[in-house]
Amino acid sequence: MHELITFFARNSKWFVFAVYVVLSLMLLSGGDPYHRHIYLTSANSVTASVYDFSNNATGYFNLRERNSDLNRRNAELQSEVLALRQQLEVMAEKIYTDTMVMDSGMQPFRFIVANVINNSIARPFNYITLNKGTLDGVKPEMGVIDASGVVGIVSVVGPRSARVISLLNPHFRLSCKLKGTDNFGSLVWDGRDPEVAQLEELPRHTVSRAGDTVVTSGYSSVFPPGLPVGIVMDEAGSDHGDFFSLKVRLLSDFSALNNVQVVVSDMSAEVKSLEAGEAEDEERAKKAFN
Amino acid sequence: MSKTIVNALILLLVLVPAQAVIFNNLAIFGVALPLVFIYVLISLPVTLGTNWTMTIGFLSGLAVDIFSDTPGLNALACTVLAFVRRPVLHLYLPLDDELGPAPLGLRSLGLENYLKYMLTMVFLYCTLVFTVEAFELFNLRLWLLRIVCSTAYTFVFIYAFASLASRTRREKKL
Repeated sequence: MHELITFFARNSKWFVFAVYVVLSLMLLSGGDPYHRHIYLTSANSVTASVYDFSNNATGYFNLRERNSDLNRRNAELQSEVLALRQQLEVMAEKIYTDTMVMDSGMQPFRFIVANVINNSIARPFNYITLNKGTLDGVKPEMGVIDASGVVGIVSVVGPRSARVISLLNPHFRLSCKLKGTDNFGSLVWDGRDPEVAQLEELPRHTVSRAGDTVVTSGYSSVFPPGLPVGIVMDEAGSDHGDFFSLKVRLLSDFSALNNVQVVVSDMSAEVKSLEAGEAEDEERAKKAFN
Repeated sequence: MSKTIVNALILLLVLVPAQAVIFNNLAIFGVALPLVFIYVLISLPVTLGTNWTMTIGFLSGLAVDIFSDTPGLNALACTVLAFVRRPVLHLYLPLDDELGPAPLGLRSLGLENYLKYMLTMVFLYCTLVFTVEAFELFNLRLWLLRIVCSTAYTFVFIYAFASLASRTRREKKL
């Protein structure tokens, strides 16, 4: 017994080393970024308040550029509103003669305005921390966009903070299509250039030109359809057997993210419950069949 | 010994948030990342037992991991770094008896030995971090670039810290 104790005492550093290494490896292989405990992410209250504090100090940098960006965006939206209003007037005239039900094109989406308090682009797997949480209505799996395009998807939420899986994270695949076509693919980042992502799994017959816009498909109900994401960089995509992929220059400037909007989809819950219901129905049907 | 640990923890309370808020944002071209918080681990005195060094290393790595959403990455690298600290020091300094309880710095090791020791530690750390990251997403060119550039970048910062520390200590003596 005495020898055993001296053996352990003499070699204690190996045991301590092994314990810490095993603990670290367990954390490393935690897997799914959606199911991390909040204490182990930057959305916990301590880290979020540190980031919030520093953001209060640095939040005033680049205000001039951000302001001109917002002005540009505002002008774009104003012209869009004018165009839509004109269209509405034309439609309103038509409706007297035609009883066609108007498709308003409005989707039940709302937006929560949030600030980015921490962001990385240099890592192979990047995450963003926001200063809004469950108390503001943010929930996991909500989409996040900024004035230029898609930014990411919420993964872990605390009361006043949320961690977002950045588009610059290979764990996140975004269902997209080429604007004006029905060619769908999924957009994923390959861990190299923070300005460029790949649009993969496009059908072989897809015709695209450099400069084509890539928009969200709206299949997932996380993002509204038709939201701009990026611009196709080159005509010749690379071939992968039955599919091919294109290089896409992302529209959002991830190195200067600040004001973002969390997309609240009233449909999202509905779609999910429907899908859950479908699964239940299927099971019931299987049971009945057996 | 307890004073050393308390000092290290106080330094970590400053350096870990600084790493998260300032230094993580100083990355250049996505390849050079200054991982400066390992300064604490590098400058712990040799008289502190390896178990304590590893504990401090693991906790500081874990704290940085939580801030930067890289669970386990820095914790693992810091534990390994703390474990090999003494052997690395012995590469350049056969006897560490005369060092005593002073923190490892420019004054206690001398310029040449300190630079050799510190560069080796920083290089080891960057290699560990970027190799573990590369397990999930491997790109040879990026992997090498990240190790080399981050080592150089971190080296500059830690050298600055060390010279600041040696100067303040000298002033205190005067």
